[in-house]
Amino acid sequence: MSDTPETILAQALEEIAACSDAGALKAVERSYVGKDGRTAKMLASIPSLPPEERPAAGKNANILKKQVLEALAARSAQLDSASLAEAREGGDFDATLPGSKALRGSLHPITQMIRNVEEVFCSMGYQVLDGPEVELDHYNFEALNFPPDHPAREEYDTFWCEGQGDLLLRTHTSPVQVRAMERLSPPIRAIAPGRVFRHEDQDATHEHTFHQVEGLVIDRGIHVGHLIGTLKSFLRERFERELEVRLRPGFFPFVEPGFELDVRCPFCTSGCRVCSKTTWVEFCGCGMVHPNVLRAGNIDPEEYTGFAFGFGLDRLVMLKYGIDDIRHFMGGDLRFMEQF
Amino acid sequence: MLVSYRWLGRHVDLTGVTPQALADLLTLSTAEVEGIEPFAPHLNDVRVGLVEARAAHPDADKLGVCTVQLDGSGKDEPLQIVCGAPNVAAGQRVAVATVGTRLPGDIKIKKSKIRGVESRGMICSVRELELGEEHDGIWVLPESAQIGQPVASALGLDDWVLEIDNKSLTHRPDCWGHRGLAREIAVLLQRELRPLVQPKIETGSAKATAVQIETPGCPRYMALEVDGARPLPSPAWLRFLLLAVGQRPVDQLVDLSNFVMLDLGQPTHVFDRAGLSPEGIRVRQARATETLTTLDGEPRKLQESDLLICNGERPIALAGVMGGESSKVTEDSSKLLLEVANFAPVAVRRTAMRLGLRTDASARFEKSLDPNLTVEALTSFAAELKALQPDVLFPSAPADAGDWQDPSCSIALRPERARAVLGADISDGDMQAILERLGFVVQTRGTTFAVQVPSWRATKDISIEEDLIEEIGRIHRYDRIPEQALYGAIAPPPRDRRRETVHRTQDRLAGAARFHEVLTYSFHSDRLIELFGIGDQPHVKLVNPVAEGEGRIRRSVLPSVLALLEKNRRRYDDVRLFEIGKGYLPEDAGERGEPRQVHQIALAWATPPPPKKARFDAARFGELQGVLDDLFRSLDLAPHCWGALGEGQLPGWAHPHKHLAAHFAGLETPVAILADLEPGLARRLGLSGELASDVAVAEVSLDLLIEAPRSEGGYRPIPKFPGIKVDVAVLVDNRRPAGEVAEAIRKAGKGAVAELELFDLYRGDSVGAGKKSLAYHVLLQSENKTLTDQDSQKFLGRLERQLQGLDGELRKG
Repeated sequence: MSDTPETILAQALEEIAACSDAGALKAVERSYVGKDGRTAKMLASIPSLPPEERPAAGKNANILKKQVLEALAARSAQLDSASLAEAREGGDFDATLPGSKALRGSLHPITQMIRNVEEVFCSMGYQVLDGPEVELDHYNFEALNFPPDHPAREEYDTFWCEGQGDLLLRTHTSPVQVRAMERLSPPIRAIAPGRVFRHEDQDATHEHTFHQVEGLVIDRGIHVGHLIGTLKSFLRERFERELEVRLRPGFFPFVEPGFELDVRCPFCTSGCRVCSKTTWVEFCGCGMVHPNVLRAGNIDPEEYTGFAFGFGLDRLVMLKYGIDDIRHFMGGDLRFMEQF
Repeated sequence: MLVSYRWLGRHVDLTGVTPQALADLLTLSTAEVEGIEPFAPHLNDVRVGLVEARAAHPDADKLGVCTVQLDGSGKDEPLQIVCGAPNVAAGQRVAVATVGTRLPGDIKIKKSKIRGVESRGMICSVRELELGEEHDGIWVLPESAQIGQPVASALGLDDWVLEIDNKSLTHRPDCWGHRGLAREIAVLLQRELRPLVQPKIETGSAKATAVQIETPGCPRYMALEVDGARPLPSPAWLRFLLLAVGQRPVDQLVDLSNFVMLDLGQPTHVFDRAGLSPEGIRVRQARATETLTTLDGEPRKLQESDLLICNGERPIALAGVMGGESSKVTEDSSKLLLEVANFAPVAVRRTAMRLGLRTDASARFEKSLDPNLTVEALTSFAAELKALQPDVLFPSAPADAGDWQDPSCSIALRPERARAVLGADISDGDMQAILERLGFVVQTRGTTFAVQVPSWRATKDISIEEDLIEEIGRIHRYDRIPEQALYGAIAPPPRDRRRETVHRTQDRLAGAARFHEVLTYSFHSDRLIELFGIGDQPHVKLVNPVAEGEGRIRRSVLPSVLALLEKNRRRYDDVRLFEIGKGYLPEDAGERGEPRQVHQIALAWATPPPPKKARFDAARFGELQGVLDDLFRSLDLAPHCWGALGEGQLPGWAHPHKHLAAHFAGLETPVAILADLEPGLARRLGLSGELASDVAVAEVSLDLLIEAPRSEGGYRPIPKFPGIKVDVAVLVDNRRPAGEVAEAIRKAGKGAVAELELFDLYRGDSVGAGKKSLAYHVLLQSENKTLTDQDSQKFLGRLERQLQGLDGELRKG
C-alpha cells in the first residue's frame, strides 16, 4: 500500500481546492468519504492488518475522514459565498431595457366614469336603475311636466320615431324618475346612468349620442340643503378634495324650484379655458321634484318631497383625460381605447 | 337675449353697480348671464375733431384736404387729413380715427400719402364705425360733442351688452324686455323701479278701425290708426340703444316697434292702412286651402291651426309671427294701423315651428304674455312717435277687442312649508318682504299667506305654492342655503343581477380575455343594414335622422361592432372588441307601443388567418369559445353545453357550418351564438386581401344570462391520493367527432379520468388518408387509493375495446 493517510489527504485537499461547484465537491466527497470511498476502503482493510497496527490505522482513517469532511465544508462555504457574491454582481444589467409588454384589454372610459360615479352614490345608499333608450313621450316629457306644445320641449332637440308619434329617443336620463317612482315606494335614493340622444350636428364638442347620470331622492322632509350636501359629497369624492359649489336659478319643467349647480373650477384658480375664465364650471341641472312629477309617479307631494339632478358624463371624462374630441367616445378606434 | 346696461339704466338707477356686478346679481337670482361685452369699444379710440378748414386737393377733384383740430384747448397742431366725403365742411365736429387706431374689420389707420398729399388719420362714416349702413358721407356729430373727447363718452354711448341665456328665461315672459329685467334688478338692489311714463295720447273722434275676433287664439287685440308718419331715420339715442342689442336701425316706425318690444317685451306690428278695406280687422283661424305671402316675400301654405289677421276675408298677417307682404309699410305709406295684441302661445308656437319662422315676436308670444301689457306698449309707441314726429295724428281712439281676463290670481303659501322645502330659516317677515318687493300682495291668514300674483307673473310662471317658494328662495339666494347631509332609514338596495352581470362581464372580458370595450351608435346606417342583408327585418325608424340614411335603430349590437374590424385590423394584427348594449325590436311592442328592448353582449375577435402548419387549436373560434366558457363560469352559471342551433336560428353573420350555440338547462333559447364570421360578409366588411382575417364572432343575450341557472357549490375536495398521467394517441376516421373519442376515454376510465386535455390533432400521410390522430393528456385519479401502473394498463385495455366501437385504434409508440 503506497498511499499513506498524508498523501491521500494532500491529494484530497488538492482536488477539493480545484472544485468550482457543488457538483464537483459531491464527486470528491463520494470518492474520499463516500460509501465506497478511500476512507471506507481504509477502514475495510483494517481487519487484514496485524492486530497491533489496527488501532492506529483505524484512528488514522477516522482523522483523515474528518479532515476531508472539514475541507469539503470549508470549500463549500467558500463556493457558496462566491456564488452569492456573483449573484449580487450587476453583470450586464441594463436599466434602460423595456419591461416586456403586459397584454391587456380595456374598459371604455365612459364605463369607468359610470362605475366611479356609481361607487360614490352606492356608498351613500343609492341604488342604480336602468331605463330604455327608445322611450315614450309620456316618460320623457309628459310625466315630467312638459305638456304638449311646451316651449321648453324644443330645447331638447328630440329624435322622434315613426309610428304612433309617442316614441322618441330619450333626450335625458330623467324619464327614469317617474319609472322609478312607479316601481319603488319612498324612501327612494337612486341614480340612473345611461345613453341619451339629441338631434345635433357633430363636431369636436357636440355629439348626438352622449351619456348622463340622473339622481333622485324622495323621502319625508327632503329640502334644498340636502341637495347641496349630496352633490358636494359626490364632488368631494370624485375630485378628492373640497370644492366650492354655488346654486343659482335654472329652469327645468320637472323641478320647482329649479337650479343650476356650478362648481369652482377644479383646474385653475383665476380662470382658464375649461371655465371660460369665470372660475365656475356648470356641473348639473337640479331641483326639487315638481309636485306634478311626484303625482305622475303616484307619490303624494304633501307627504313627500324630493330632489333630482342630472349631469353629463362625457365632459367629465374629457376633462379627466384632456380628451379634445368627443367623437372618440363612439369611434371604436383601438388607438383610443387601449389608452384606458 | 342681448341686454344693454345703459337701457336698463333708463328704468332703474344703476349708480355704483358695475356691469359685472349686475351680471352676477342676475345670474345668482334670476337668469344666467352668459357674457358681458363692451358696446362698440372702438368708440373709445375714435375722438371728436373739429374741421377747421377744408381745401381742395391739388390733384383730385373729389378729395378734400381737411385741417382737423383734436385738442379742445386748440394748443396742439391740427392734423391734416385727406377726406373724400362730399359732406365734409369746415366747422363740423367729426369722428376722427388717428394713426394707430384700430377700427372694426381689422382696419388699422396708418399715416399715408393720398395722391401726393399727406394724410394723418381718417374722418369716419357711420358705417365705418359699424353704427349703421349710411356711407354717403362722414358722420357729423352734434355741436355739443366736446372736441378731443373719445366719441363714446362725448355722446354718452358708453355701454355694456349682457348676453342672457334664453333657456333660463323660458318660463319668464315678463323678462323678455329691458323693463322686466330692470324690475328684477330693482328688487335685487333694493332700489326703486322708475315709473313708466305713459303720457295721454290725444286722439281724434273718428270711428276706430273695426276689430272682430273669431277665435280663442286671440284674447286681446288693440289697434291704433296713425296718420302722417314718415319713415325718417331715428335719432341717435334710439339708434344706439338698438345697435347695442344687435338690432339694425331702419327707420322710425320699424325702430320704434323694435324699441317697444325690447323695452316692454310686447311685440307690435304696423300695417299700411291705405291698402285695407273698411271691413276692418278680423282675427280667425286659417283655412287649409289658404296661402299668405309674408313680409320676407315667401308664400306660406297655411293650416287650420294657424292664426290669421285678416282685412275682411283677406289674410294680411300671420298672427304673432310675421306680417304679410300686401300690407307692408313702404316709403309712400302715410296712413298706418298699429297692432298691439295678445295671442295664444300654443297657436303661435305651432305655426312658427311648422314654418321655421322663429321671430322675435313669436318667441315672446309663445312664452304667454300678460294681456295688460298691450295698453302700455300701445301708449309707449304712440307717445314716442308723437315726440319724434309732432305732425303725426291719431284720428280715432284705439280699438280694444277680446274677451281677455286679468290673469292675476291668489295662491296660498305656508311659510312653514317654504322653510321645510328650502331648508333655510327665513322668517315670515322676510318672506313677505321678498314677495312684496317682487310685486306680490301678501295678506296673512293665520299661519298662511294669501298671495296675490301680479298679472305679469301670473300668465304661466306662477301658479302653485312651489312657484312662490322658488321666488323666496332665489331672492334670498340659493347660495346662502346651508348644505346638509342626508339622513334617514335606508334599506340596502335589492340585489341587482343585471348590473352585477354587466360588471363581471366587462371585467372578465377586458381582463383575462384582453378584449377592448367599445361603444357604438344606436343608429344603423342603411349601408350597414344592406351589408348585413337585414333590410327586410323591422326596425324602429326615426322621423328626423341626424343624416340621410342613418334613420334606423339597431336591433342588435353586433353589426356596428363588426363594422369596426376593418379600420382596426389595418393597424393591429389582434383585434378583440366587445360592446354591451341595447337593441330594439318593433315587431314585439309593449302595450303602449314601445319596442321590446334586448340587452346584448357582442364580441368579435379578428387576427390574420393562421398559417397552414399552425397548431390545431390556433383558430379564433376555439379561443373565443374558451373566452365564453370562462365568462359563464365566472358568472357562477350552472354548466352549459355547446350544441347546434335550431331551425331558422342561424343569423346571417354566422358561418353556415362553423357555429355553435350555448344552451343552459331550462332555457329554450340559446344564451349565446358563436360562429366564424360568414365569409361573404367578411369580404363585404373589407376583411379581404391583405386584411383577410380569421374572425370569430359571438352574440350573447344579457337578458338570458341573468335568467340562466346558477351553479350551487362547485367545490371539489383536493385529492388525497396521487394520480397517474397517461398520454394516449388515438387514430380514428377523419369525420369522427373528437367528442366521441373523449367520451370513450371517460368511459374507459370508469370515473377515474380527473383531467382530459387534447394536445394534438394531426392529419397527414403518416397516419393514412382519411384518418386523424388525436392525442390526449389523461390524468387518472382515485379517491380511495394510489393508482399504479397496473391500473393504467387496465385503462388502456378498456380504451382499446371502446375504440373498436368507433372504428378507431390506440396508436402505439
